[in-house]
Amino acid sequence: MKETFEFTAKLKRTLFYMMGAGVVGILILLLYPHNQHARLWSNILACTYYFTGIGLFGMFAVSAGQIAYGSWQTLEKRIFLSLSSFARIGGFMLAGILILGVLGVHNLYEHVHTITHSPVTPETTTKMIYFAPAFWIGRVLVYATLWCIFSIVLNNFFARTDQTDPKVYKRSKLLCAAFIVVFAVTESAISWDMIMSLDTGWYSTLFGWYNFASYGCAAWAMTILLVIYLKSKGYLERVNENHVHDLGKLLFGFSIFWSYLWFDQFMLQWFANIPEETSFWVKRFGTGYFKFTIFLALAINFLFPLLFLMKRGAKRNFKVVGFAAAMLIVGHYIDFFNYTFVESGWNKEAVEAKKKEALKGSEKVVLYAQAAEEKKGTTTDATPAKENTAAVASEVKEAKKGEAEGGEEAEKPELTFSGIGIAEMLVFTGFLGVFLFMFFNNLAKRPIIPENDPYLKENEKLEVIYS
Amino acid sequence: MESNKFVVGLWDHEEVYLHAIGHIRKKGIAIYESLTPFPVHGLENALGYRDTRLHTTAFIFGATGTTLALTFMTWVMTYNYPLNVGGKPYWPLPSFIPITFELTVLFSAWGMTLTYLVRNKLWPGRVPRIFDKRTTDDRFALVFDAEQLTEAQKNEIKSLCTSEGAVEVKDKVFAENEGL
Repeated sequence: MKETFEFTAKLKRTLFYMMGAGVVGILILLLYPHNQHARLWSNILACTYYFTGIGLFGMFAVSAGQIAYGSWQTLEKRIFLSLSSFARIGGFMLAGILILGVLGVHNLYEHVHTITHSPVTPETTTKMIYFAPAFWIGRVLVYATLWCIFSIVLNNFFARTDQTDPKVYKRSKLLCAAFIVVFAVTESAISWDMIMSLDTGWYSTLFGWYNFASYGCAAWAMTILLVIYLKSKGYLERVNENHVHDLGKLLFGFSIFWSYLWFDQFMLQWFANIPEETSFWVKRFGTGYFKFTIFLALAINFLFPLLFLMKRGAKRNFKVVGFAAAMLIVGHYIDFFNYTFVESGWNKEAVEAKKKEALKGSEKVVLYAQAAEEKKGTTTDATPAKENTAAVASEVKEAKKGEAEGGEEAEKPELTFSGIGIAEMLVFTGFLGVFLFMFFNNLAKRPIIPENDPYLKENEKLEVIYS
Repeated sequence: MESNKFVVGLWDHEEVYLHAIGHIRKKGIAIYESLTPFPVHGLENALGYRDTRLHTTAFIFGATGTTLALTFMTWVMTYNYPLNVGGKPYWPLPSFIPITFELTVLFSAWGMTLTYLVRNKLWPGRVPRIFDKRTTDDRFALVFDAEQLTEAQKNEIKSLCTSEGAVEVKDKVFAENEGL
């Protein structure tokens, strides 16, 4: 029985190849002839956010189990804790994305543009206080620091040899309770700061919760896959189908929870029909591709586990549950893709050109300009820009096209890109490589099974009888 | 045709009881009923019970609820009395979903409960057959059907129970149709 994970050179090489694929993806996006900056940064944002979330949820799973006197997760405790090693750098990477946004390297966050270039409109006034750059970046840095500290502290604490000592056990509960409080606040706040703020006008009051469910699905799925992988390599001998069954039940439950929140968010906004809320859905259902990915994400994340994972046998069969886990990891990436890519896909230069064109006075565009003025509550008398005639002409065409499609669309320029291409897959693979490298690196430092845990004996005898 | 004559063995410890069940089943003696004051871990495996099929009933009842809710609301809102509610389409599927969900849960919960009660003969007014009152307190009972058994076979079962640690073995005879 092998006790400590051995990070072999072969595995390292595979992971380096994956990271290399990510670099290739980033290079493709950088060197692509069109303006692919927004696409590049959307990729980086979606992947960083996704894997940071998985890491955070790993710590949450251990903490929640610990304060609830749980024993079911003891054998997988080190795997959950090792997931969090990506969160040590992930938070700082997210803060870095914000800093680059404020510096003008990319234009993912519309409201940065609003702060620096145009008067604040009434609908975003209070939000602009919250999104003042210093406060915004500052708090993300605070979250990142907290996650980094907690990841290191929890990993070290659960490696202690005196955990059966009641005093130490009590302290572990305090530590875990503290992390749950930190997690509850930072997890909601990071989802507003990083993802919800991509569309400045849009509100969703359950967004933090929704992201929690997404992290949950992805983290359980990742744990299932890693447990199966480690077992196939001869580690974790004491983990059997009962433990995987428990993880599978959580995966199934969180998938249903995610679907519930997805539908809640959609149905209330569909029914209430408030402009700043519906604009979010118009952008998605207005473009054919994103309509497809939205329903694809719903099918993979809801219908697939509902029909595939419901039976007891499916959750106890490593192949079946592993396949479901892999599908759900991709499905939740597609979900974040839907949130990130549409918002950041607007072409910055096209926005400027269109604004100029709007003030030129062509018949169609006057309507656009009037609508824009009414919406913004401001008037600008700028001289028409004569340069870049070809681009302007194409913009007029697009504006007309947008007008024909619907009111909300008309105010936005066309997307600079759409769809999951080879670049997205490569960047995702690259981030997965980094994530797994940090995971295995952390796992190899200590024995996989926490021999000193007071609940280990109980967990070894785990037997899942029902469902 | 229900039996009226039984042999009842009583144990006072769950571990001994579980081992006894294993040994008795290995001898090829059929166990009619097993009564314990609390759920004993691993008892259904020891008794060789099949997995419950209650899940399947839950699915069937739930699917009935889903179908009923969707078809009824579609009939009312789209065909029988179409109303324009807030400019929404005449077949507003998203607003049907919560009700469909509720009806699915309601049907599967009620269906499962009723199936369970009927299957266990727990309808109102039924007087249950009580083999020993202490099975709700501190005794673990094994019941053997003795209708077809000869006196020698009964004695064999009794001595087997005693040798497996039963603290008490007795005959239990019900009057015809008493408490069915």
